[in-house]
Parts: sequence; structure tokens; C-alpha cells
Amino acid sequence: MKKWIVAILAAIIAMLVLAPAALAEGAPPSDAKKGEFIKVDTANRTAEFRPVDRDEPITVRLDEPLAVEDVHLDKKVMVSLSNDDGEQVVTEISVMFIGLEPGTLVALLIVGFVGGLLSGFIGSGGAFVLTPSMMSLGVPGAVAVASNMCHKFPKAMVGTYKRFRYGQVDVKLGLMMAGSAIAGVELGIRVQKMILDKWGSSGSDLYVSFVFVVILVIVGSIVLRDAFKSARGGEAGEKKPRLALTMQKIKIPPMIHFKKADVVLSLWVTVPIGFATGLLAATIAVGGFIGVPGMIYIVGASAVVASATELLVAFVMGLWGSTQWALSGLIDIRLTLLILATSLLGVQLGALGTTYVRDHTIKLVMAAVMLIVAVSRGVKVPVYMNKLGMISVSSGTADLLNTISFWALIAALAVAGGIISSAMIKGIIRARIEEKEVAASRGA
Amino acid sequence: MTRTAGKKSYVRLTILGIISLLSYYLLLANQSLVTDYFIKGGAYALLPIGTALYFSFVHGAFCSGLLTIARISAKGSSH
Repeated sequence: MKKWIVAILAAIIAMLVLAPAALAEGAPPSDAKKGEFIKVDTANRTAEFRPVDRDEPITVRLDEPLAVEDVHLDKKVMVSLSNDDGEQVVTEISVMFIGLEPGTLVALLIVGFVGGLLSGFIGSGGAFVLTPSMMSLGVPGAVAVASNMCHKFPKAMVGTYKRFRYGQVDVKLGLMMAGSAIAGVELGIRVQKMILDKWGSSGSDLYVSFVFVVILVIVGSIVLRDAFKSARGGEAGEKKPRLALTMQKIKIPPMIHFKKADVVLSLWVTVPIGFATGLLAATIAVGGFIGVPGMIYIVGASAVVASATELLVAFVMGLWGSTQWALSGLIDIRLTLLILATSLLGVQLGALGTTYVRDHTIKLVMAAVMLIVAVSRGVKVPVYMNKLGMISVSSGTADLLNTISFWALIAALAVAGGIISSAMIKGIIRARIEEKEVAASRGA
Repeated sequence: MTRTAGKKSYVRLTILGIISLLSYYLLLANQSLVTDYFIKGGAYALLPIGTALYFSFVHGAFCSGLLTIARISAKGSSH
């Protein structure tokens, strides 16, 4: 009984804590209005706009950079409004719902499947490529983040359930890690806001990219080195990391036993790990890339348990984040469900794939994804520096760098999908041969 | 796996597949109605969250059944 009360309280605390963390990819914009344009006056550059929450249309003026052609009649749009001496001025217009062409459908289904496979296997993934992919298809940024977030929690829920059944999820560790991230996330968001106020969005992008690249290159290299070391050493090579063993020597009460992770750790060690994870997650918006290595190298959990536990964290964060975006009415449920169509298959395949591989394969996939994603973000650094006036980059070069960045993300998915599929196929064939041998020896 | 259990798995998979396919058909055939209500925000937030949960149960169970029928299961579990 007591255990259940503690678990429920921990879950409530985690939900409250994860509110800001869930919005690490950005909170719903407060100045955006959804609705439809019903009439446009070309001569006066004004239009009749009917917001979704009102029956009566309002007259709005188009701000200077906007052309009359940007006004799409009878289509759901999202506009940024500002008040100029009592007059409503439209500064930005985005069509909310893209047409679902066959090419778009296929792209969403493929990216959804590989994203799901990756998520089921390493505990996170897919989000880093889904948002930019949707945006490249013409989905407005806020709708892309919202729709992606809404696909994250059902996928993580199914993945958590599967991996819980395989005995890989440490529920207590997941809730503790999430819970202790509060201060880190809060501080991370404050730092972000401070940079945004001081240097604008390009400054913020540059800061995020810099931290992103540095962290991902350092952590990715450590994971890659460890993966090769473990692979060479066989099962004996998969020992608990030295840093984790040092952490376990700190015996300041209260000591907590994480059963699945098979570690006993002081609360005072767990809290700073959660803090650092939260701080970085709020900055680079890909919490799993920090959470999973944190659980492996500092807590001392195996890669299998860490990646499974991360799915639980992703579920809680995704559910909370989706609720916030749904309240703002920015989720394109068609995109969410199309991605889910294949990602629900991918996540289950990825989850069962972990039962056929050893720890080093999970580490290898994670390292490969982290390093390629770091390249993707790294090549955009000159673009942000150009916007800040620090260097000069021609528009052609900027376009090329943006294209390289996007395709690097796709390459990350392809590489991860390739490693996972080949490891799984090999594992399944090996297991079936072993089963046949056992059956034959019993028959003899 | 016994023959009866196999048959049951196929029946379950077919039913889930039909429900899943029908749900997707209804969604894509009524896109403008769906998007009208799902972007209202406020209490209507329950619509996208509930729909995502509904699809994850129905379609998730269908995908799970599909893997079972294809004899792709976790190591150590019976095929």
C-alpha cells in the first residue's frame, strides 16, 4: 500500500516537474491567432479575418513585407497579430494544414517507421528529424512541433509497455530522473530567455547549436568508444562504468535501490544528475540524448535498462506537452496519426529488437545518431553567425548548408535503421538456430 | 502455438485491422470536419489527445498482432 502511495505521489510530482521540460522544443505561441480569411481588399491592403473562437470577422491590415497573394481565402491559417493604435496588423501568415499528396503520405510513413524503430531501440529519436521534415513539407513550425509531440506520447506508451513486459523498465529510476530535472529545466529555460532577450532568435539559435554540437560530439564520442570497447571485450567488456562505480560509493542517506538498473544510489547523487539532464534537455530539446547516457555512465544502468526507462520519461513528457499544445489547438491530428500508423509498428519492432542484441549495439546506434545529428546542426552554425553579422555567408551557401543539414538528419535515420535492422535479423536467425539445436538435442 | 490459438490470432488481427483501416478512412474522408473541431483548443483539447490514445490502442494492438503472425517476437518468448 505504502509503495503505491509513493509511486502515485512521485508520478504527480513528475507530471508537474515535466511541464516545462515537455515544452523544451518551444511553448505554444501566445500571439498566434487561428482562423480564416474571408475577403481581401487589394487596394487598401486590408482583409476580413474570422478567428476560430469568434463568429464575427475582424478587419486586419497587412504589414509591409506581406503581399496580398499571401492571403489564402477559405483556408485555415495561423496569423501573428499585433496592435497598432487600435488597428489589428497581421505580421505573419501560415497555412495550417498542408494538402496530403501521395508523396507527402509516403514521406511521413517512412520517417514515422524509422523514427519508431529508433525510439523503441534507443529510447529516444525520431523527434529530431520529424519536426524539420514536416516543416520542409510546408507545415508551420508550431503545428509541426505540436503534431510531432502528440505522436510522441502514444508511441512512447506502447514502447514502454512492451519493454516493461520484457523486464527492462526501471519505473522508480524513470520517475526519479524526471522529478529531479525540475531545477535544471527551469534554469535552462531562464538562460535561454536571457539569451533570446539579449541577442534575439539568431543569437539563441547560435547558442543552442553550439551547446548541441559540443555536447553531442563529446557524449557521442564517449558512447562510440565505449561501444567498440564493449564489442571487443564480449560480455566481459560490458562492465559498469568507473564513474558510476564512484557514484555508488557515495553513501549519504537516503539510499535508493533501483531494482531493474541493479544499483543502490544516494538521493544526493541522483538529484544533480537529474538537474544536469534537465538543464541540457531544456537547451538542446533532445532530452533522450542526455538522459540515456546519464543513466548508463553516471547511474550505472545497462544500455538496455537506460533506453527502456527513457521511454517512460518520454511518455510522461509527451503526454503533458501534447496537452499544452492541444489546449492551444495547434495539433494537426492527420499528421500525428499518419506518423503513428507506421511508428507504432516500428517502436514495437525496435523494442523486441533489444532482446536480441547486446548493450554495445544500442550504444553504437545511439553514438552514430548523436554524431550525425551534431554534424547536421554544426553546418548551420555559419548561417546563424551570418545573421548576427559575425561573418558573411552568401544566400546560395546558406541554402546549401540548410540542405546539407536536412539530409544529414535523414542520413542519421538511415544509418540507425540499417544498424538496427541488420543486428535484429542476425539476432533472430541466431536465436532460431539455437532453438532448433536445443530441440534436436532434446529429441536425441 | 496450438492451431486454435493461431486461428484466434488471425481473427483478432483481422478485426483489429478492419477497425484500424476504417478509423483511418473516416479520418481522411472527413479531414475538414476533423480539423474544424480539433483546432478549437480549450475543452476540445480532449479530441486530439483521446484520438491519439484510441489509435495507439487499436492500431498498436493490430501492429503487435501483425508481428506475432509474422513470427517476429522477443527472444525467449514463444512464437
